[in-house]
Amino acid sequence: MDKRFGMQLLDNDWAGPALISLAAILVISALQPSFLTPFNILVLLSAIAVNMVIALGQLVIVGVGQMNLALGSLGGLVGVCFVGAIEVLGVPTPLAVLMGLSIGVLAGMANGYVIARTGISAFIITLASLQIFKGINLGITKAQPFYGVPDVVKQFGNTAVIGPIPWLIAPMLIAALGLWYLFRRLRIGRYILSMGGNRQAAELSGIDTVGTVIWAHAISGLLAAAAGMMLVARLQIGQPTIGDDWLISSFAAPVIGGAALSGGHVSVAGTFFGVVIIAIITQALVLFSIDPFVVQIVLGSLILWAVGINRFREWRFAKMATAGA
Amino acid sequence: MSSVVTEPLTENTGTGEQERLPVLLRLLLSNEFGLLALIVVAAAIFATALPGFTSPFSLFTLSRQIGIDTMIGLAMMAVIVSGGLDLSVGAIGASSAMAFGYFAERLGLPLAAAIPFTLALGALLGGINGAVVVRSGVHSFIITLASMSIFFGVMIYLTKAQAFNGLPADVTAFGRMKVLGSVSALLVVTLAVCGGLTVLYRLTRLGREILAAGANPRAAELSGVPVGRTVIICHMLTGALAALAGLMLTARTGAAVPSMAGHLGQDWLLPAFLAPVLGGTLLTGGRVSVIGTLLGATFVTVITSGLLLMRVSEFWVQAFLGFMLLAAVLIDRARHTILKARGMV
Repeated sequence: MDKRFGMQLLDNDWAGPALISLAAILVISALQPSFLTPFNILVLLSAIAVNMVIALGQLVIVGVGQMNLALGSLGGLVGVCFVGAIEVLGVPTPLAVLMGLSIGVLAGMANGYVIARTGISAFIITLASLQIFKGINLGITKAQPFYGVPDVVKQFGNTAVIGPIPWLIAPMLIAALGLWYLFRRLRIGRYILSMGGNRQAAELSGIDTVGTVIWAHAISGLLAAAAGMMLVARLQIGQPTIGDDWLISSFAAPVIGGAALSGGHVSVAGTFFGVVIIAIITQALVLFSIDPFVVQIVLGSLILWAVGINRFREWRFAKMATAGA
Repeated sequence: MSSVVTEPLTENTGTGEQERLPVLLRLLLSNEFGLLALIVVAAAIFATALPGFTSPFSLFTLSRQIGIDTMIGLAMMAVIVSGGLDLSVGAIGASSAMAFGYFAERLGLPLAAAIPFTLALGALLGGINGAVVVRSGVHSFIITLASMSIFFGVMIYLTKAQAFNGLPADVTAFGRMKVLGSVSALLVVTLAVCGGLTVLYRLTRLGREILAAGANPRAAELSGVPVGRTVIICHMLTGALAALAGLMLTARTGAAVPSMAGHLGQDWLLPAFLAPVLGGTLLTGGRVSVIGTLLGATFVTVITSGLLLMRVSEFWVQAFLGFMLLAAVLIDRARHTILKARGMV
């Protein structure tokens, strides 16, 4: 490796998205000074916190080479169960949080178990569970929101720790550092990535593939549950529609962050900057009062653009590998 | 991605791999026969238990729903056969239907021009999907995830999320039209398309190339099938059929509504996969069953309307449909295992 340090830095998955984030912040704040007011930063960071947890929930599954369509509907189900337990059953808030997280883990494990034991594609299994979770959600709520969100939860979702840093950043940091540690240091993280990279090789080298898939989906469910409850805190209401719009952005951020959708290669830091880019663009459209539906067009184009970049990098790495050999 | 069994199971691949099984046994073991039996049993139970089930109005709405759901299922089936999928069917369907509203209401085009234009737009959007998939080599899941967001976003941006309510009277009239007593004319359209697709897959060279390319792209390429072109054609067919499904929904509602397929068209995903999967279309490609898709959609519609007539909340029916998809793939899996263990495949 005789490359210059700067070039090495640029080869990181997160370097490109980080540069783009920085450039976007500079351009937008130059055009619209209100972009960097403390209040706006607080709003931006709250959105980033929730969307990062959502994206990480998809990232784990992308790592193992699968996809989780049910992420959003599980998040929504946990969101309404959380508020419902407090409002209707009178469960104390900490216990309700614990209950919500357990629902997420159990539902994720169920997904993982069925996928791993039957060998049916994760796409079809999570499409079925998407519908099941959504149906249960609507069956419980009759499509009406729960309003009994306790004050402490509302405050958690809408106040700052210091300056413009919202409390919601705390669960995001725990989730991001936890996953980073998991992929870097823990055996299960290595198993997930090696399975995503080459399932047969992983199986032959004695990795418990069934257990690994169940673990990955359990973590994904846990993160979906956390994100669902974070959104309840932010919206101050148990909306049954929570999670309906997670599908696109949950894939967009990891892909922008350089994750290979075939599995085996993920970047927590890259995903973070993917989330930041999406949040900045969404905010900018609001600030410049552009039709909010343009967000959909931008998100779709970002995915295509990122897929193109990732393909180009793969091609370049492959060329470098052959040149080196 | 985990693998699904790739062996073609019954006669529909047209490769004649099942010749050693007696015809009757093959028929009895087929997905289609199982579905038909289930439909008959379910319909018989509902008809005796629920007096309203066989009323002319109920039969009309039933046949209308079967027509639309089958068309959505066929749209997805047309691309599943290539081994890919299309998350953007709902977005294409809604976008095309809105374009139809624009053609027929705003521009005042006659239906004879507006309908072909609409179908062509659907095929074009599908063709874009297919071309990007083939050129980039990226799986259609991620490409169509992006395009569903783009198509839907552009449609909402252009229409300002406003419905077209002043469509020509013929459109609404067709949605209400009955043939042979109380059968919806929409189902007739669907049956005609089923016939056309059966001819395509069984009798034409293109159909055989599609099946071959879906079953084993490398082998097909080596034997001279232009696989890339075939994949693009599959996506175009999906787009055109999705546009047709959007038109049929428009005829039923009497208006072109941007939210007809839900946010980003996501509401079509379950019916789109449920009907073909129930009908025995393999998700890995290479095998289709047009009749199976029709029967799959029929079964789902019969069960759904029966449950709704029993006053089960429509929300719980949604959860039930999810369980049904799960059951369908698990049963299919078990059937493969049993047939394999007996050396029948």
